[in-house]
Amino acid sequence: MTGVLFDKTLTVLEKALDAGSLRQRVIAHNIANINTPGFKRSFVTFESQLKEALSNARDGEVTMLKGDPRHITGKTGLEQLEPRVVRDRTSSLRADGNNVDVDLEMTYLAMNTIKYNAVIQQLNDRLAKLRYVINEGRR
Amino acid sequence: MRLFQSMAISASALTAERLRMDLIASNIANMNTTRTASGGPYRRKVAVFAEKLEQAMSRGRELTGSGVTVAKIVEDQSPPRLVYDPSHPDANQDGYVAMPNINVINEMVDLITATRAYEANVTVLNAGKTMALKALEIGR
Repeated sequence: MTGVLFDKTLTVLEKALDAGSLRQRVIAHNIANINTPGFKRSFVTFESQLKEALSNARDGEVTMLKGDPRHITGKTGLEQLEPRVVRDRTSSLRADGNNVDVDLEMTYLAMNTIKYNAVIQQLNDRLAKLRYVINEGRR
Repeated sequence: MRLFQSMAISASALTAERLRMDLIASNIANMNTTRTASGGPYRRKVAVFAEKLEQAMSRGRELTGSGVTVAKIVEDQSPPRLVYDPSHPDANQDGYVAMPNINVINEMVDLITATRAYEANVTVLNAGKTMALKALEIGR
């Protein structure tokens, strides 16, 4: 859908919110298992897929209509953009085989919270602008 | 809602770490217990943590992480400490008493680890709560 009400930016912001809450969940799972022997941490990839989808949209690629989400597409369009959970199987120096680094995870948690708040702020700004326009300039 | 799932994950970790702290408290309290219901000295109890995986409803086969669970509580099978004390009522015929195999230093290190993990999970829980509250402000 294009136009002033539902443009690309709102889609991107909505996807970013989904990715943010998924990342929060994955970090919670990592920190919950900080003492579990043999546990391997996971992480969420989203920004690289977003970059690719945005550059595809800019190049004027038409998003192919698909009957079924499992059909193969040429390139990722904005609508199909999805965050992915990846398991990090690197080995660690810990004796119990657990590769969770608590300092890194807490840092990612803080970064994610700030990103999430920033996206919500952007969303509110856009909605406020829409409301302003709808009210014909009156508050 | 995914943010509530994230808080449930942190809650599972808080429960597991608290159980570990309870076991450590029990171990230290029973450091000198020579009589148990099953006979013999008290044996050190250890909690075994396991990752909890659940079927994600929308995606079918994929298992998503949903926290930590205590798989079982095992008793440490290492042999008890033998202390020479013939006057003890539980001494065997050589005068040795079988004392529990509990090392206070190990228990204290485990306690610190459990406490730090508990604090980290409380921070994660608060972050998830803040995010959920912030999401309520969209469009306000």
